[in-house]
Amino acid sequence: MAFFKRIFSRPQPPPEVFVVSGLPRSGTSMMMKMLEAGGVPALTDGIRLADTDNPKGYYELEQIKDLAKQVDKSWLKDAAGHCVKVISELLIELPPFCRYRVIFMNRDLHEIIASQNRMLQRRGEEKADDDEAMIDLFSRHLGKIKDWLRRQSHFRILYLDYGGVLEDPPGNARQVKEFLGLDLDIELMAAVCDPALYRNRRSRLVSQ
Amino acid sequence: MFGPKIKLDKALYQKVKEYSKLAGYSSIDEFVAHALEKEVAKLEDAESEEEIKKRLKGLGYIS
Repeated sequence: MAFFKRIFSRPQPPPEVFVVSGLPRSGTSMMMKMLEAGGVPALTDGIRLADTDNPKGYYELEQIKDLAKQVDKSWLKDAAGHCVKVISELLIELPPFCRYRVIFMNRDLHEIIASQNRMLQRRGEEKADDDEAMIDLFSRHLGKIKDWLRRQSHFRILYLDYGGVLEDPPGNARQVKEFLGLDLDIELMAAVCDPALYRNRRSRLVSQ
Repeated sequence: MFGPKIKLDKALYQKVKEYSKLAGYSSIDEFVAHALEKEVAKLEDAESEEEIKKRLKGLGYIS
């Protein structure tokens, strides 16, 4: 009997994890906050505390930062139904035994570099001398990652623009809701978008 | 499943089998394909990848 049960039983669908991704300083923390406000439980350990660069918190998980070094990644199966922040560089480390719906944040690369430079400075870290070279590196990195994502059957991607989300929070929240297929609270999601935090706007950078 | 096949020696195959299970993969094929994807990504544009990793470490986003 057990034999027939095993043969004819439907295989369990793989666990599905909701991922927020993009380059650092592309609005990933803001999107995590939106998801959490909308009703998706966020997987975060609170180790990295809010600071000047991210006054509303980082929404990070140390286990994710270590992903490239981990042998056993089966803990990700327990992340099903949660949202977790995974920077673009680490997407390739996500094992294919889970399915991933990824909200990928795009942002003007000049704005990203300017914001990262400020953060590096505050952390007392060395920054690259040539911003244009860094923009070129990140541009190629994003091209490679997006090309790789297109070939992965266990990933589904929604690309959103950081500036666009701040311009129209409810419209973008609706897109996220539809993409995730969850009953999210659009109003609460939109309410956490704070345009005051859009500090490295391209138009301002150019005029500086 | 019906794609190209790769030969491995028995000892390596045993190790791959052991680690794919330990790491939570649902099959040896899945583990091998993912390992190769990561290795190829490392080799493509290796120099710029290092530069990016250095910056991301400085920003505190990878360890």
